[in-house]
Amino acid sequence: MKKKILISPIIIFFLILLVFFYLLIIDRNPSELPSVLINKKVPEFEAKSLLKNKTFISPGEFGNETTLVNFFATWCKPCRDEHPYLKKLSDKNGLKIIGINYKDDSKRVIKWLKKLGNPYSIILLDSNARLGIDWGVYGLPETFIINSNGVIKYRLVGPITKKNYDAFVLKVKEVEK
Amino acid sequence: MQRILLAILVYLMTSQIVITNCYSVEPDEFLQNPKKELRARNISKNVRCLVCQNQSIDESSAPLAKDLRILIRKKVKQGNSDDEIYDFLTERYGDFILLNPPFKISTLFLWILPFFFLAVGIFVIFLHNNKSKKLDYNK
Repeated sequence: MKKKILISPIIIFFLILLVFFYLLIIDRNPSELPSVLINKKVPEFEAKSLLKNKTFISPGEFGNETTLVNFFATWCKPCRDEHPYLKKLSDKNGLKIIGINYKDDSKRVIKWLKKLGNPYSIILLDSNARLGIDWGVYGLPETFIINSNGVIKYRLVGPITKKNYDAFVLKVKEVEK
Repeated sequence: MQRILLAILVYLMTSQIVITNCYSVEPDEFLQNPKKELRARNISKNVRCLVCQNQSIDESSAPLAKDLRILIRKKVKQGNSDDEIYDFLTERYGDFILLNPPFKISTLFLWILPFFFLAVGIFVIFLHNNKSKKLDYNK
């Protein structure tokens, strides 16, 4: 009996080791954080639009349909890589995408969109990162999927790429159901 | 020779101080009121920078850390309490943004397990000692 108790720390040690080893080999990014906004209503905010001369008021303009909210900037290289996939989502899947331009220069954005195309139904300006903080953004690009009731269902930190595009479309379909 | 050694020693000691007291708050961020500035600093020290995740926003020079520092100072100026500011941050970024995790049901294990393992360790050592006392080494 006593012997069993004495070897128990060794067993516990190896069990802990096993857990660590499991966490080491599974495909995960430890710096990626879960959003606390999941299953919550979109934050309330007001923002100026880049191309349209009106103020965007949240949450009034959300709802009715599944919407993506994409934080981007022209100085962010992964955003540029992601751009064709956003275009594909808006052209092919007919998704409404709200772009939030994070700490950027408006002239550059206009030039950027002319060159690469505009997948966004509206672009909001976030020059002082205040909207980013309200949405819990910590690294660009970030994309949120919002359902037809104006509830945030999913957040992707990092770009939509060739690798995760199909999985992302699947997530959108799941939310649409 | 001794002087050189002394100089090296002093250098090593002071460089350590410089390293441990390395803050990123820029002069233009400071609040005029020293009391409020101190409060903002203390809050900043407890808030994690989500870009460089093992630094507080007080130490980090990441743009997001700077934005949060400015926002915290703005809130301090507006008369928000410390708890209100922490709540504001956790509502958006979750408990992870606090360098000190709060004590609640989901973090219960985090707080209790170290004490549990300490107790197990003491128990095992106690058993081991008891056993070795019983052994007669002279035989």
